[in-house]
Amino acid sequence: MWSYTVKRILQGIITVWFIATATFLAMHNVPGDPLSSDRATNETIRANLEARYGLDKPLLEQYFVYMGNMMRGDFGISFTQQNREVNDIIREHFPVSATLGVLAVMFAALGGILMGALTALYRNRLPDYIIMFLVIMGISVPSFVFAALGQLSLVNLNAMMGFSVLPVAGWGTVSHMLLPALVLGLGTMAYLTRLMRSSMLEVISSDYVRTARAKGVPAARIFTRHQLRNAVMPVITVLGPAIASITTGGFVVELVFAVPGLGRYFVQAVQQLDYTVIMGTTVFYGAFLVFMVILVDLVYGWIDPRVRLK
Amino acid sequence: MTALLEVSNLHVEFDTYGGIVKALRGVDFSVESGQTLAIVGESGSGKSVAMQSVTGLIPMPPGRITAGSAKLRGKEFLGQRKLDGKTICGDEIGMIFQDAMSSLNPTMCIGDQIAETLEVHRGYSHAKAFSRAIELLDMVRIPEAARRARQFPFEFSGGMLQRVMIATAIACKPSLLIADEPTTALDVTIQAQILDLLQSLQKETGMAIVLITHDLSVVARMADRVAVMYAGQIVESGSVEDIFYRSAHPYTLGLKLAMPSHSGGEDHRLRPIPGSPPDMFSPPAGCAYCERCDRAMRVCQSDNPPIFTLDEGHFSRCWQQHPQHTGASEGLYKKATAHIDEVQA
Repeated sequence: MWSYTVKRILQGIITVWFIATATFLAMHNVPGDPLSSDRATNETIRANLEARYGLDKPLLEQYFVYMGNMMRGDFGISFTQQNREVNDIIREHFPVSATLGVLAVMFAALGGILMGALTALYRNRLPDYIIMFLVIMGISVPSFVFAALGQLSLVNLNAMMGFSVLPVAGWGTVSHMLLPALVLGLGTMAYLTRLMRSSMLEVISSDYVRTARAKGVPAARIFTRHQLRNAVMPVITVLGPAIASITTGGFVVELVFAVPGLGRYFVQAVQQLDYTVIMGTTVFYGAFLVFMVILVDLVYGWIDPRVRLK
Repeated sequence: MTALLEVSNLHVEFDTYGGIVKALRGVDFSVESGQTLAIVGESGSGKSVAMQSVTGLIPMPPGRITAGSAKLRGKEFLGQRKLDGKTICGDEIGMIFQDAMSSLNPTMCIGDQIAETLEVHRGYSHAKAFSRAIELLDMVRIPEAARRARQFPFEFSGGMLQRVMIATAIACKPSLLIADEPTTALDVTIQAQILDLLQSLQKETGMAIVLITHDLSVVARMADRVAVMYAGQIVESGSVEDIFYRSAHPYTLGLKLAMPSHSGGEDHRLRPIPGSPPDMFSPPAGCAYCERCDRAMRVCQSDNPPIFTLDEGHFSRCWQQHPQHTGASEGLYKKATAHIDEVQA
């Protein structure tokens, strides 16, 4: 298990390095730069910045300056926002996005696994039909529609109850997080439900479940100890990419619910060609996702002994 | 003396897209403690369905037991989970299956899988059940049982896994062990070891064994009594000597002739039984074996033969045994003196 962990982490570091290099090269091939636009800074600031980041030096040298700064954990200063370090932006806004994302993934994973197992156990009966109908909806309807519908029903609910059951937008308390996280996780939940259903159907008719029944194990215990653990494998496998799509896809939902997440700055930075912010957030997101995927792989190894021991 | 397990007139059907499959059409058999009953027959003849419907393992729906009874020590238990406070599956009746590789949970360590039976039926704590599991592994002759108990199925060979299955099945000292083709997936040397193990365990514990197989050499080695199944019915049953030396049913004879032998020499050829078993969606009105039988008579096409008693404990379902049948029945055992009328389902 140890050598497996170390190997995965080394692979992760190489991936992050690759992401950083690719971002750097891509940024330098984009025409124009933030310093040359008309509302940009005066000549002194421009010269200072160019000197600091070696923007007037050859590409290779710039690359080394950039990589060196990054190794020290310094992503630099925003080129378009006053007195803002990229590190500050990340430190302030990433926890918000991460909280939302992790909550959404938890919703998606728990809901998907439970509903998937339920549909498989009640295959071709009413609960199966109802859930599978909802799943098709969850997959085909985009998240901003659910976001708007969710807000609308919250407004109605609050009006009906006469007090605020759940806030419609904003950020701060747990009650602010529930609806955005649910909306954000909905698509993934639907996808995971389908995956879990097919995997569970396979497990239900497997020989080892028959063995468990032949041993006289009660149905509830067969479900928890024999079916769930084996059926959950494919779901865990896609959980890594699912975390990626949820955390990066959170921008729209963050916007609708006025959540001060990182997504907004990311998009703004791209629009304004804010080099340091783009590179900083991209590399940071990349590293975060690589870390999550490694975590998922380790969890997978913990659940499936064949991965752990081979 | 009442038999340990007595199954009578068992009828089982399956709903499928193609219609209703009549998998069992009146099956009777019994086993006594310490004895081994072998159920033989080709694929699809209903051997496994018979045992799995008795223990409630066939999926229902689509499966359905339409008639019949199964008694353990004279007490009816068909369709029940418990009998006299003891769970039937795992406690009273242990089961092992053909493919041990896929019959064990890949994500649970071997010891836990054996211990689970004891935790469920005996209420043992996990630690106690686990140490008992190690003893059981020792009993089925797995070396370094304590270390092996913490390993997972993928770290075991096929023969070892079948031993683990046996250890699991006998954990609660069942009075009956159902072995559903336990050695089909194994090579002959391992097969011999597993059969030896089953025999010695039977001697130690006095349990009855129902051995489902299509391998007549396994039958000859293990069985006290044999039931030959064809198309959802038992066509002949008797002691192992009855079946091998006094075969009464043409199908039993056909199986014997289709078996390779050491003594035959150049001119001994395997004689396969021509044709294939009948369509179980609509079983024939007469004898199911009629189409493939070289001794078929007119009556065989129209009427399913009743069960003829040939000797004490030797029965056959063939019109050739009818006392009034006058033609030559070369190679078949003698005619019956009595017959049991069929119980209508």
